[in-house]
Amino acid sequence: MAEVLLEARRLTKHYPVTAGLLQRTVGTVRALDGVTFTIDRGKTLSLVGESGAGKTTVAKMVLLLERPTSGSVIFEGTDICQLSPSRLKTEYRPRVQAVQQNPWSSMNPRMRVRDIVAEPLVVNTHRSPDEVRATVQHMLTQVGLMPDHADRYPHEFSGGQRQRIAVARALALNPSLVVLDEPVSALDVSIRAQIMNLLKDLQEQHNLSYLVIAHNLATVRYVSHWVAIMHLGQIVEYGPAEAIFENPVHPYTQALISASVLSAPEGAGPETKPIILTGEMPSPLNPPSGCRFHTRCFKAIPECSTTEPELKDIGEGHQVACILAY
Amino acid sequence: MSKTVLEVKDLRTSFFTRRGEVKAVDGVSFYVREGETFGIVGESGCGKSVTGLSILRLLPEPAGKIVGGKIILEGTDLLQLSKAQMRGFRGRKISMILQDPMTSLNPVYTVGDQIAESVRLHQKLPAADMVRDEVISALRLLKIPAPERRLHDYPFQLSGGMRQRVVGAIAMSCHPRLLIADEPTTALDATIQAQYIALFKDVQKTTNVAIIFITHDFGVIAQMCHRVGVMYAGKFVEKAATRELFDAPRHPYTIALINSVPRLDRKDERLFSIEGQPPSMMDLPPGCRFAPRCSSAQDICVQQEPPEVKVGEEHFVSCWRAS
Repeated sequence: MAEVLLEARRLTKHYPVTAGLLQRTVGTVRALDGVTFTIDRGKTLSLVGESGAGKTTVAKMVLLLERPTSGSVIFEGTDICQLSPSRLKTEYRPRVQAVQQNPWSSMNPRMRVRDIVAEPLVVNTHRSPDEVRATVQHMLTQVGLMPDHADRYPHEFSGGQRQRIAVARALALNPSLVVLDEPVSALDVSIRAQIMNLLKDLQEQHNLSYLVIAHNLATVRYVSHWVAIMHLGQIVEYGPAEAIFENPVHPYTQALISASVLSAPEGAGPETKPIILTGEMPSPLNPPSGCRFHTRCFKAIPECSTTEPELKDIGEGHQVACILAY
Repeated sequence: MSKTVLEVKDLRTSFFTRRGEVKAVDGVSFYVREGETFGIVGESGCGKSVTGLSILRLLPEPAGKIVGGKIILEGTDLLQLSKAQMRGFRGRKISMILQDPMTSLNPVYTVGDQIAESVRLHQKLPAADMVRDEVISALRLLKIPAPERRLHDYPFQLSGGMRQRVVGAIAMSCHPRLLIADEPTTALDATIQAQYIALFKDVQKTTNVAIIFITHDFGVIAQMCHRVGVMYAGKFVEKAATRELFDAPRHPYTIALINSVPRLDRKDERLFSIEGQPPSMMDLPPGCRFAPRCSSAQDICVQQEPPEVKVGEEHFVSCWRAS
């Protein structure tokens, strides 16, 4: 049995919408509504969904950049939302690091690579300058760069190399969990494979856990052990990556997969007709009643607009929130 | 066989910078037929967007310049036209869709006004209600629901997918013969992207427009294009019918690119990755431009540029191993 590193329990985040001179609350954006998942040590959980699904909000909760409206985040048995600021800083922050999507905006252009990678060490530890220098050099070689790259500035590197620098910075403190927000979507096709392979190697070497946020399903299949499909602030399907991709049950998952399949290259299989959803994602300000997907669902029945489906296990940890599935 | 709408012959486009000449497009030839979509796929900096801008003659001046070749649209060489004549072609005969609808639409005009602008400019209709009818029919062509009401909306009131449809309506409003679409679906979500591609296939069937589809995404190519050209460092390395390109790619770069894209229909243990990076366009290697990264490069590859050889019906490869 895998060891649980982090557990999110019924995470909910509502943002008030204010208007007028008195900034009265006129509505609530229900960015997250009761999201529960676990991340095992050394494994990858990917959150998949379209814009507005709440993926980034989950990342903000896990990094505790924002606090949930309700629910909790349990890290190695401790509820981090209850930690005092000083304990948070020493016990949680150094253990959880992040890599952002765009390596052109995630680094200060006026800092040398040496200082960029060293910054988390300087902020969080009391190492001597020599130790810091040695760690920086070690990290750069770990991500496939040269030690003498440390004296250069970010603009001297290509996108793929910059993303390597961002990974080196995230791993400098030897964290347990790394939040990767669309780590390869800003990179070119031939470079993406390099970075994904690097991330996999580092995961094996250091027994790292990853929380990956992505919209490209093929990328997700390649890097993930577990997958959560999100739609309008809720998880609609959750389970081992193989189960989700081999046997998607929720209609939304089926549509997402259908939309991203290369239409049978190499002459493989019969041409399948893609599922084209009608309409657009409803607003999280006023989500539909019942199942939030029923307005766009191609399988919807009348009950879908009245009954809110619960995530239910359909075997081996594969969970689905759809009344047609059980 | 349908008639050829556009033929590009040995197009060369350079940027003249302080540090020297950058040959962004270096001898590119292709054609598009009526009702057909030709895809141009490649990584950033390979010259795919510059190819599109060259056809429209919209290169940033004075740095960018077409230094050679021919661009023939239904018998007219666009490079021989005066600036004023070219303006008559742009929008009316050739139009364009750009990647990000939020930056290609003007936020302070209604979508109706923005479509009407191009109708008024190019069609010289005598009455205002005729313009309005054209605008509504353009919105209808792109299947925008309730076009009479949407007309009065501002871009911010529409979703990303609807905005990109409005951009499509502007492009199609004057019934062009050729549409250049530069990464039109990259900014869209997966399910919306699938909608947009299905929509554009319908639009093409109704109007018989020829489309040049520029993208970096092989999945989009597979769904949208009839034929495709793979660009690398300013040149086509391979051109083929889409199915044939996926079934039997011949150029090592095409093969590597297809293999380095993770697949949804199977679990890959390890992705194939192309080592190194594309060459700097200021300092191109002699011989084949892909040779420094190619796993099957021979001596001749680094000495001489490979010629383009025909290896099948409409299948062309520039590789010494193929000849």
